[in-house]
Amino acid sequence: MKSTVATRRAFAARLSALALAAAAAASLAALPLPAAAHETDCPFCKLKVVQDTKEQDNEVALRYGRKRIEYRCVFCALSEAQTPQYPGDLTILAPSEKKGQPVVIERRGGAWSAPDGTLFVGVRASHDHCQVTYRAFTSRAAFDAHVAKNPVLLRDAKPLTLAQMVELAKPKQPK
Amino acid sequence: MDRRRFLRLAAGGGLALLAAPTLSAFAAGDGPSPPALPKDLPKWLRNRDTNHVFWTRGRYNFAVYKIRPLALDLNAVSVGHAMAYEDLVTGKAHRLETETFARIDRVLKNPPRFAPSERFIGNTFSRRFGVLEQVFDSAHLLHTQTVDVLAEPSMTLAEKEAEVERLYQVYRTTLPTAITPLPLNMGYLYGQPYSRAFRDRFPKVNGLFWGYHWLQSAMYDVLYGHNLSEQQKVYEIIGDQYRRTELYRTDRFFMPMTGEVSPRFAARFPELANVFDNLHMLHDMVNDILVTPWLTEAQKDEQVTRAIWLVMEAAHAGHRPGDSPEPGGWRDYRHMEGMPGMGLMPDMSPNAMFMQGLGWMALGECHHCSMPLPEGAEAWRAHAVTADGWTMRVRCPLCARDMSLETKGRAVLHLTTEDPERPAVLLSDDRGNLTPASDRAGSVVFLEQEASHAACHEWSQAFTSRAAFDAFVAARPEYRGAKALTLAEWGERTGRKPDTYFRREGPPGNPFDGKAGGGKEVGK
Repeated sequence: MKSTVATRRAFAARLSALALAAAAAASLAALPLPAAAHETDCPFCKLKVVQDTKEQDNEVALRYGRKRIEYRCVFCALSEAQTPQYPGDLTILAPSEKKGQPVVIERRGGAWSAPDGTLFVGVRASHDHCQVTYRAFTSRAAFDAHVAKNPVLLRDAKPLTLAQMVELAKPKQPK
Repeated sequence: MDRRRFLRLAAGGGLALLAAPTLSAFAAGDGPSPPALPKDLPKWLRNRDTNHVFWTRGRYNFAVYKIRPLALDLNAVSVGHAMAYEDLVTGKAHRLETETFARIDRVLKNPPRFAPSERFIGNTFSRRFGVLEQVFDSAHLLHTQTVDVLAEPSMTLAEKEAEVERLYQVYRTTLPTAITPLPLNMGYLYGQPYSRAFRDRFPKVNGLFWGYHWLQSAMYDVLYGHNLSEQQKVYEIIGDQYRRTELYRTDRFFMPMTGEVSPRFAARFPELANVFDNLHMLHDMVNDILVTPWLTEAQKDEQVTRAIWLVMEAAHAGHRPGDSPEPGGWRDYRHMEGMPGMGLMPDMSPNAMFMQGLGWMALGECHHCSMPLPEGAEAWRAHAVTADGWTMRVRCPLCARDMSLETKGRAVLHLTTEDPERPAVLLSDDRGNLTPASDRAGSVVFLEQEASHAACHEWSQAFTSRAAFDAFVAARPEYRGAKALTLAEWGERTGRKPDTYFRREGPPGNPFDGKAGGGKEVGK
C-alpha cells in the first residue's frame, strides 16, 4: 500500500515537471461542457450516475446558472427540474443516440423546448434500467431502432413528445 | 391479531416494534450472551457521586453567541439528547418515533436561549447512568470550549490553536473520564451483538442523533481559520443544511465522522477529531444497548459500563495511532490513510473510504483530480469545498470551484493563499455565482493556467493581493505573462475534466451493511 502511494507520488512529481513546461507553452482555454470529474450518485434517484462509454453517452446534465449537475437519466433531470429547487431558466443535456451530440432541452420563462424531431422513450419499469427506459432521440428512426434493440423492456413503448415527457416526469404531489 | 388492532398499533408507533423480528425474537435474558465485562475495571467507573465539570477559565468562553444561530442550534441539541434518553429509560420507548420526536422537533425549531444542563431534563437517566453522564458532560464541555475558542475574534489563529491544545490537555489530565484520542476501530465498536438496534428500530430519532453529530462535527470547519464575518456567513449555509436536511435524514448508513465534514480541523487536531468520533460512537452504543430487548435491565447497566470502558483513554494506555495488535478488533488503531483523525470504518481498508453519495475515495487524495493532498506541516495548504452536507479537501482552487459547480445547492469554498492566516472564503449560491464571505477575500487574485492536474497546485492558486501574485510570478519564469484574474473573472471559468482523475473502486454493494469488503485491501 505504501509503495503504491510512493509510486503515485513519484509519478506525480514527474508529471508535475512535464506539466509545468507545458503550462509555459500554452494557456488552455476553458471548455464549456466538461464532464463531471467525480462520479457521484444521481441527486434525484440516488442510484449511481452511469458513465459515458466510448460508444454511447449516458450522463444527463442539468445546467442551472453556472452549475452543471449530473443525473442518471432524462426522467430524473426533468423531475428534479420541476421541483422548487430549480425555479427559473435551465438547460438539460440529454444523451441522444449520437455520441457527443446531446439533445438540448431548455426551459425559458417556464416554456419547455427541444430541437424539432426530438422524441423520448418513457416507460415505467425498475429504475435500474432507466438508461434503456428513459432516453432522448433526434428522430423517429432512432427511437424505433432503440425499441427494436430492447424488445423486453420496451415492448409497448410509444414515442413521447417533450410535453408528454415533461408531464410524465412531473413529481407527484403528496395527497 | 385482527387487522384493525394491527393498524391501530401501527398508527400508534407500534409498527417499528412489529417490524423488528430479529430484535423481538428474544425476551430479556433469553438472547445471546452479552459481551463479558472486562476484569479489574477502575473503581471510578462505578461511582455514584454527583460530579460536575466546569469551564476552564478563558476570555473566549461563550464566544459562540457571536454566531448566534449556531449557539441556539447547539442549545437545542442538548435538549434533544436529554429528552430522548429520559424517555428511553422511563418506559416510553414505544412513543419515541411519534410523541418524543415531535417534542424534540419543537425544541429544535424553537431553541432555548441558553444551554440547559442535560441532567435537569433527563434526571432519571442521569441518576441511573451517572458515570456515563460525566463522560458525556466532560467531552461536551471540550466541544463547547473548543468552539468558543475558535469563535473568539480577538485571538490570532496561533493563539487559538495553542488554546485548543491546552483545553485538550486539561480535558485529558484533569478527570479520569477522558475519551481516548486514538483512532478507534469503528467497525468493531459498531459490530457489537446489540449494534444497529436503535438505528433499525427508531430511524427518525436516530436520524436526529446523527443530525446533531453532523452539526457537532461540521461546525469545526465552519469556524477554524475563519474570521467572524466568514463564520457567520458560512453558518448561514451550514445551519440551513442542518435544519432542513441533516436533522431529518433517515438514509444514513453510519454516523457522520469529523474527518468527513471537518477535514481541515480533523487534519490539524486528529486527537480531538478522534475524541469526538469516539464520543459519538459511545452515544450510538448506549442507544443500541438501551433498546435491545434481549438484555435485562441489569445487563444494560453492565453493557453501558463496558461501552464506556471501550472508549476510555485509560483502557488504551501504551498504544499509539497506527498500532494494530488486534487487527479488526478492539485494539486496532489504524486510521484512514491521509486522515489521522478518523478510525477505521466498518468493512473498509485504510486506503479506501466509502462516502455515501460520493462513492469510494482515499482521504489523502483530491476527490476532483485524484492527486495527493499536502501532508504534515504543509497540510494547511489544502483547499476545501463544502456542499450538500459534506466537506472535501481538494488540491487547488480550480478543483474547489469545479467541484462546487458539479454539486447541487449552495457551497462554501475555503481557498488557501500564500498567507496561512488569510484564506479566501467564498460562498456559492445555488446557481454557482461566487461572492466573498468577508472583505479580506475581496482583494483575492487568482493564477489559473490550466494544464495537467499533476501540477494543479502550482498553476491554480489564490493570492491575497496583486503584489503577492506578482511576487510569485516574478520568481517563476514559466508563468511570465500570466494574467492575474479577479474573483469575477476566475468565477466565470470552468476547467476541463482532470486528466489525472481515476475512479477508485471498492467491493460491490454497501460496505456499511457488513456484507462487503471485510477490511480487505482495495485496489483502484
